[in-house]
Amino acid sequence: MNCAVHWEHVSKFYPVGPTGWRRVTAVEDITLSVPYGSVFGLIGPNRAGKTTLLKLLLSLTYPSAGQIYRLGRPAHDIHTLSRVGYMHENHAFPYYLTASEILYLYGGLTGLAGAELRRRVEEELRRVGLADRQHEAIRTYSKGMLQRLGLAQALLAEPELLVLDEPTEGLDLAGRQLLRQVVTAMRQQGKTVLMVSHTLAEIEQLCDRVAVLVAGRLAFTGTMAELQSNHLEYDTLEKKLMAIYEQRIAI
Amino acid sequence: MTALPLAIRTVRWMIWDTYRQSLASRLLWVMLGLTFLCTLLCLSLSVTGDEYSASHPFELPMYVPAAEAGEEVRAEGIRVVSGEVSLGFGLVRFPVGRSRADAVHWFQVWLAGVLADTVGVLLALLWTAAYLPQFLEPQSISVLLARPTPRWALLTGKYLGVVLFVGFHAFLFIFATWFSIGLKTGIWEVRYWFALPILLMNFSVFYAFSVMLAVCSRGVMVPLFGTLLFWVLCWAMNITRHTFLTLEAGEWSTLTPLLVEVGYWLLPKPLDGSGLFYEVLRAEGVAAPVPEWEAACARGAVVPELSVLSSLLFGLVVLVLAAWEFRRAEY
Repeated sequence: MNCAVHWEHVSKFYPVGPTGWRRVTAVEDITLSVPYGSVFGLIGPNRAGKTTLLKLLLSLTYPSAGQIYRLGRPAHDIHTLSRVGYMHENHAFPYYLTASEILYLYGGLTGLAGAELRRRVEEELRRVGLADRQHEAIRTYSKGMLQRLGLAQALLAEPELLVLDEPTEGLDLAGRQLLRQVVTAMRQQGKTVLMVSHTLAEIEQLCDRVAVLVAGRLAFTGTMAELQSNHLEYDTLEKKLMAIYEQRIAI
Repeated sequence: MTALPLAIRTVRWMIWDTYRQSLASRLLWVMLGLTFLCTLLCLSLSVTGDEYSASHPFELPMYVPAAEAGEEVRAEGIRVVSGEVSLGFGLVRFPVGRSRADAVHWFQVWLAGVLADTVGVLLALLWTAAYLPQFLEPQSISVLLARPTPRWALLTGKYLGVVLFVGFHAFLFIFATWFSIGLKTGIWEVRYWFALPILLMNFSVFYAFSVMLAVCSRGVMVPLFGTLLFWVLCWAMNITRHTFLTLEAGEWSTLTPLLVEVGYWLLPKPLDGSGLFYEVLRAEGVAAPVPEWEAACARGAVVPELSVLSSLLFGLVVLVLAAWEFRRAEY
């Protein structure tokens, strides 16, 4: 599989109700590829299935149908996860640890050890601007600082594939700038970034390919330029996307 | 990196994480505080009075406390013991029942069998019940699960972390109380140390059940109350089984004793564990056994080795089931 990520006819249904007989569709028959070296954006309205696709990719949940490939291997092979960094939208880090302890713990669980782990922890703390507060318990941290810590833990193992779920949520201007630098650097190194975001400015600025999901179905996939060439009657990306959403819902 | 070293490292990291969690939740200090209080109680113990040395190790000495000894007792030549046990630095005093060593022995049986094995194990189960559900909250664990760590290793590490934490406190409790009693009385009862593995076994078996409930429910209340109910159920099953042995055949249908027997062998056996305590601490001279257990023992229906093994097996099976459930859990 010559893609960093490939979902092939993937569907995910969740049982609902006390008996579990009724099912709700999270995503249905999604076939989508994220090429190596690209910065790929997943966009769509709420409950479109974006986070479900990420969870399926990271083996946090399992598909009801279809196949998922991660870095050329089936997703059930957890070894490839050592080459993946994941930044969660609202991750609750253990409140009783300090920033450096969290990075040691998460790095250790990724397979890093000894001097290499120490070096990577120091580098990432410096990169995200938390080096001077690394020994403070994170319960004193602001939302933005926790997001920076989330970014640091995702980058710890120098991943080939970086998965970002709403990465700019809670970040200040400097934080957003840092995120852009990280994504740009990864693109320059030929690494792959997959991001889910509601912030269209970020998607427009960073992504070279996008997929639009609406109600669990794929509504559009292509380059940013192709997305912009849709619905020429509208002048902004926001209006174009709204038109795609409405078109898909009408179907 | 192969899977096994990473799994071992994961277990190690989870043990460390549990230690930090116990520090943050102040449970470490609460348990240290309780051990300190018990140690203080032991340091407040003093036993004065007669020392009896039997001519044979299993000889039942013929003597009575001074308070109960009338003229006729003295006339018969039975030895009268005039010692005194004092607790709370002299606040509570009572006469020595038999000999100084027996008084100390009784105190140790009470400390290990009642305080540690019942109150201590139950408190430890209650206080650690929230550890795993907190860890398993989707917002906390999703980033950990998106790593190349086997899920079973995460769960096993957390389980071992809690068991080691409780084991450390049990060791500290046994050592501190044994040492302070020895220091105060000069009686260094080595058998008291047998309480440590039994305490740890009782806790680890019931905590495995708590882990399974936490994995299935992902909440705090179910493991908290579920484990307590299960503990009561296991006591009830254990007592019922031993009671059935003493009943006349024909009082029940043939199916009932069979079901009770199956339940007895499937579930952990806290009464047998308590009986084991009684045996290894040689408590027969200083405390009365549970009558149902004594009756079952008299009929040869309690095999301590099998009882311990089947309880441990239950804990292991439940832990494997919890790991299996966690492996296929969706977040």
